[in-house]
Amino acid sequence: MPPTSSSAIDRREALRRAALVLGGVLSAPMVAGVLAGCEARRAPAGAWQPRALTPDQADLVATIAERILPETDTPGARAVGVHRFIDAMLAEAYAAEERQRFVAGLADVDRRARSTHGRTFLECPAAEQLALLETLDRSADPAFRALKELTLVGYYTSEIGATRELRHVAVPGRFEGCVPLTQVGRTWAV
Amino acid sequence: MKDAYDAIVVGSGITGGWAAKELCEKGLRTLVIERGRHVEHGKDYITEWLQPWQLTHRGRGEPDLYERDYPIQSKNYAFSEATRHFFVSDREHPYVTPEDKPFRWIRGYQLGGRSLIWGRASWRWSDLDFEANLRDGAGHGVDWPIRYADLAPWYTHVERFIGVSGERLGLPHLPDGELLPAWEMNCAEKVVQRGIERDFPGRRMTMTRVANLTRAHNGRGPCQARNQCARGCSFSGYFSSLSATLPAARKTGRLTVVTDAIVHSVIYDERRDRAAGVRVIDANTKATREYFGGIVFLCASTLGTAQILLNSKSARFPTGLANASGEVGHNLMDHISKAGARGIVPGLEDKYVYGRRPTGTYIPRFRNLGRPGEAKVGFVRGYGIQAGASREGWARGADEPGLGVELKQRLRDPGPWQISLQGYGECLPRHENYVDLDPVRTDQWGMPLLRIHCAWSDNERAIRADVKTQAAEMLERAGCREVETYDEDGPPGFSVHEMGTARMGRDPKTSVLNAHNQAHDVPNLFVSDGACMASSSCVNPSLTYMALTARAVDHAVNELKRHNL
Repeated sequence: MPPTSSSAIDRREALRRAALVLGGVLSAPMVAGVLAGCEARRAPAGAWQPRALTPDQADLVATIAERILPETDTPGARAVGVHRFIDAMLAEAYAAEERQRFVAGLADVDRRARSTHGRTFLECPAAEQLALLETLDRSADPAFRALKELTLVGYYTSEIGATRELRHVAVPGRFEGCVPLTQVGRTWAV
Repeated sequence: MKDAYDAIVVGSGITGGWAAKELCEKGLRTLVIERGRHVEHGKDYITEWLQPWQLTHRGRGEPDLYERDYPIQSKNYAFSEATRHFFVSDREHPYVTPEDKPFRWIRGYQLGGRSLIWGRASWRWSDLDFEANLRDGAGHGVDWPIRYADLAPWYTHVERFIGVSGERLGLPHLPDGELLPAWEMNCAEKVVQRGIERDFPGRRMTMTRVANLTRAHNGRGPCQARNQCARGCSFSGYFSSLSATLPAARKTGRLTVVTDAIVHSVIYDERRDRAAGVRVIDANTKATREYFGGIVFLCASTLGTAQILLNSKSARFPTGLANASGEVGHNLMDHISKAGARGIVPGLEDKYVYGRRPTGTYIPRFRNLGRPGEAKVGFVRGYGIQAGASREGWARGADEPGLGVELKQRLRDPGPWQISLQGYGECLPRHENYVDLDPVRTDQWGMPLLRIHCAWSDNERAIRADVKTQAAEMLERAGCREVETYDEDGPPGFSVHEMGTARMGRDPKTSVLNAHNQAHDVPNLFVSDGACMASSSCVNPSLTYMALTARAVDHAVNELKRHNL
């Protein structure tokens, strides 16, 4: 599909959804805001290249993130691009020392995989990967906890995480202080 | 004389906007001078419609950048990736503090100033506050030259315009006003409220009175319960200069606004013994120019106004304009905050909230009310407590062990109800808390850097200790679990309630302003921002600043008509 028509569909879809959450009323600044969001997400999927991480490290991050928040009846961390968010944070937002600490944490995961199972983390079967990460998680390993936190942020602030896994309403329009949880259904994303 | 206006207002924040509205509506051609950039209501709220996934760093921001350029601003609760453009860069706007006396000066240099990013709590002060300095006797400031009765009609005037939601309480020390319907307490807050009011006679817990419109008011709002006010609000759901006062001023056809103009000093005309206008530095070109006007209102914020006055030197006022008393820059106060207690409200697992309420609850002051038989405490003045309960969200998953399907499933449901109580305590006016001008260093526009010397005293530390004890005891008695106190020991400035650097008073020898916010020494010079405050109360000051401003304009215009200015 040519990019123009796909972006036109994205825009229509975004506006339709915005109209739903806003109760059908769209003002000019709302339209501008919604469309600005479309622009930001228009990069074609295959073209992504990590900037702070190597492609192998990005794959490792995506795999670990998926073990932390896997695909269930909703997409998992890899599908929503948590590794892209983490790479962007490392490239744009963190100081060099933070980046180095993060990459050292990744190397440590591989080192542990090698010493326990004799192969890299990515070569381990899923069950071994999960067991290894659970060990790090239970011992509150600082590097792993940092990665886990970034994974949660990346996932639950993604559109899928916020609107399909959790609940999000851009413009609630009112506040009610005591409603049955079943009426909302799930944790509010914000 | 070019560019002559009837009135000049320096600053466009919460008081500058009010001065402009009142002056224009009373028929004066008014110039508002703002040092920051122009911001257009709605159009320039560039992050307002961005959803979490549309923020470049998902709300996490850029820690490295914040460390370098926003080390102070980024500590403010309202600062985020979505609001950074409404805060100054600390690197570009330096000030000086002694090594052992940090002060956090939170600033928003733009049209509308900090009215875009304020906390919106809107309480009236009472005679417990206006008589506090007098009651304490010598050493704790000077007596306010006004009492509650002087200000009450102006509170009403302001509340009717801005729209304040809240409950009527009938408390003499927290007077009721013109109130829109209150926001609703959530289930956990109601449990804690019942427990506190049952076990502590005389203590109340109420919804914060807040300038968020629970219903449409004067063509604005209602608030949409997004709780993202500091991004700006196209619905005009909360009060700001941009949503309310400046449009009202503009409607008269008498308003002129100049942005990107940093006021260097007030021009003093020695022959007439009057303020003649202001000298400004263009923020972009750094060129100097002058504006002239019949009266001058300084609404540049507590520290901004002090800086301008101290920098306005003349033969008659060698230490700064209107400073015959020597009190300009002194008696700087803030509120103590960042101390209290938190806990878990058990049960209510099947209950939740809909919408994002833009405020919390409040426990009004219960110490030192002058009631017979009340507890003796080791401090003067008092504190109120800001409280709020909410269910923990997905972020709790980062701190708890757990991975995989189980973790994802668990975070689909909200966590336990947590509640936090945070004290906001009164700070004494003390001469030794002061600002002056650095004799050598200037900013990039050539303005002498402000030096801030401010520290808490024993009284504030004693209040802090009592806040923690009482907050924890109230939570325990209300049935909360895992109650713990906290104390983040915020330095002064953190509450963003700085005030007092050009205080009102009865005696020109010990105060800068009279009972009408008029400089004792210069009759056509008025200061109605936080600088004017003679004491700090323990409640949020903005509503009082607004009422004082409207009252001061009324006086100024009457005096103008009588040819007394």
